[in-house]
Amino acid sequence: MSSKRKRIDLIYQGITYAAASIAVIVLSMIFLFVFRNGSGLLNFGLIVNDYHAQFYNGGIEEVTEFSQTPKPSSLGDDVYYSENWGLGLIDGEDREGNAIIEVAYVAADSPLHKMYDKNENDYEDFGLKKGNIVTAIKFYDKNSTLPIYGAEFMINELDTETVFREIDYSNLGGGIRGSLVTTLYVIGLTLLFALPIGIFTAIYLNEFARKNRITDMLRSLIEVLTGVPSIIFGLMGLAVFVPLTVRYTSADSANLLSGSLTLAVILLPVIIRSTEESLKVVPDDFRSASLALGANRTQTTFKVVLPNALPGIMTATLLAIGRIIGESAALIFAIGTAVKDDISIFGKSTTLAVHIWSLMTDEPANIELASTIAIIILIIVLILNLTVKLVSRRFIKTYE
Amino acid sequence: MHKIHELYTNMREKLRFNSRKERVDFIIHSMFLLATVVSASFIIIIVIFIAQEGMIPFVTDNDGLGAVNLWRFLTGFTWLKGTAFQSNLYAVGYIIINTLYVAFLSLLLAMPIGVLTALFIAKIAPKKIAEVLRTIVEMLAAIPSIVYGLFGAGLILPWIYEFAKIFGVQSKGGNSVLATVLVLSLMILPTITALSEVAIRSVRSDIEHGSLALGATKTQTNFKVVLTSAKSGIFASAILGVGRALGEATAVSLVAGNARSGPSFGLFETTSTLTSTMLQGLKETVGIDYDIRFSVGIVLMVVILLTNVTLNFVKKEVGNVDVK
Repeated sequence: MSSKRKRIDLIYQGITYAAASIAVIVLSMIFLFVFRNGSGLLNFGLIVNDYHAQFYNGGIEEVTEFSQTPKPSSLGDDVYYSENWGLGLIDGEDREGNAIIEVAYVAADSPLHKMYDKNENDYEDFGLKKGNIVTAIKFYDKNSTLPIYGAEFMINELDTETVFREIDYSNLGGGIRGSLVTTLYVIGLTLLFALPIGIFTAIYLNEFARKNRITDMLRSLIEVLTGVPSIIFGLMGLAVFVPLTVRYTSADSANLLSGSLTLAVILLPVIIRSTEESLKVVPDDFRSASLALGANRTQTTFKVVLPNALPGIMTATLLAIGRIIGESAALIFAIGTAVKDDISIFGKSTTLAVHIWSLMTDEPANIELASTIAIIILIIVLILNLTVKLVSRRFIKTYE
Repeated sequence: MHKIHELYTNMREKLRFNSRKERVDFIIHSMFLLATVVSASFIIIIVIFIAQEGMIPFVTDNDGLGAVNLWRFLTGFTWLKGTAFQSNLYAVGYIIINTLYVAFLSLLLAMPIGVLTALFIAKIAPKKIAEVLRTIVEMLAAIPSIVYGLFGAGLILPWIYEFAKIFGVQSKGGNSVLATVLVLSLMILPTITALSEVAIRSVRSDIEHGSLALGATKTQTNFKVVLTSAKSGIFASAILGVGRALGEATAVSLVAGNARSGPSFGLFETTSTLTSTMLQGLKETVGIDYDIRFSVGIVLMVVILLTNVTLNFVKKEVGNVDVK
């Protein structure tokens, strides 16, 4: 080997080392980026996220009708309640450990619902809500009550008054809880639709279908779905499932159900393929043995084949959950981008991934909170993928 | 008539079960078949519904605005002349060009990196390192597109903004062709790497041995023989990569900059792709602005289909290496 050859070979090898290092660099950069930007907000109090707190000043006209609601039994002893105002307050702490006062309960007939915005922003639904932080209640003829005196004092001061100058309060901003709950709902609903259909299809194609043109056609029709970009599925959700759910449920626009149905369609090929792979691994001797003992196809499928294919179905489920958590393009159309805190299946709200999209398309983009959500998504998705890797390895070893 | 009767009696025969077990068997069997038909029908539903919605702007008069001219729509270089809801002068010609342009530029960037990484994992790296790298590539593939979009918007855009300043170009906050290409390259890199690796590992070892026996070095063999033999599989990975790049939506829309006219070839110009256009103006739920999104969807599907067909044709021309 000439030295020139060696040199050239070294250069060539060096190129592959360099190329391979790019993957490592990219992955580390993504991790570094989301952790540097997002870890500041990452804690269990994320639900109580006051990063982008919006401050409100609510005033009120002379009150004539007071609340009639007695203190609900669901509220604990640590909640101080004003019957006149239908308002329950509770002492809390923010992340820095300062005393804050949170709204624990607002009665349906509370006069506080008649508050107007003193800053004259046109908020859609202005008013004091559960979870808000009260920073001050100011009166006309006595000192303002501040959080440092505690919730009990604030309620007592308020209870004796029939009017106040203004209530200063803030919402906590970035309500991730809503998106988290939505994501869990959507995962459940999607799997509810996609798993049975997907598994049944896989069983049919693998156990029952004869080898003929029709079977091949069905197979290729399902196969084509894998190549369709997710935004096209989103359009389908918009054109098919949104009108469908609006017509037959109480929904009036894109909702969790239409989103879940759309996701179910996206996941069908994934689930079908993964289940089929696991069915294929089950040795034919098992089937023959079962049939020889007098079981029919159905019994064989349910009692012999499916139990052996369970790890594959598990894998399919895990992969599906990962996809659901990460999916954004389709859901922007099929669920919508409204971040909400009170979740219902027929209402608007948005999953974690779409929540990121909403944050990024806002002016100005909230990169910190987006990164925090990204950390949560990344950790879940990567754990799921590694689990799948381990499960399938174990699974392959079973039959070897 | 006679035939139908025969069919009917046949069915009767078939449906006369001798036992409960048989009836259950039949019902379950039908249920499985139904599930399969449902699964297979979705692609048809997608095509029909999107075509139906997407045709509306061209065949109706759009509440008095007049029908959109299809030829103009496909060849025009401005997204919308006039104001929304008061004009039917939509066009996606430049967007089609932009979409293909950024997709193929991304391929140009990701392809060599991906293939070389695959070669490294399959042939050069020690076993342990290869395993770690494979896991890293899988992780990259598992990262959702929205996270890539966040990464692009949060890190790549500011960099490009500064980079453009050096050249004296004032870019729109970094939103540009370059940003789009970079983000897309990152996203298709794992796809290309993983599939190329499979292709490289499936190269028959006797071809390699032949090359080595002729006195070629290991490296020469890897680059000249292995890559050539795997080129069909590598090309297949490229086709998949382009498909992904064309259909990628959220990440692109966060870094493209939403150009209203074009086409944009300069690296620091803002651009817009078919997918990012579809994600614009989400507020409308009715009227031409809503329907036109489906028209863009049809265009996207056609573009992806044509690109796939073309590339598969090219792949056939490139051919397979067969050593007999």
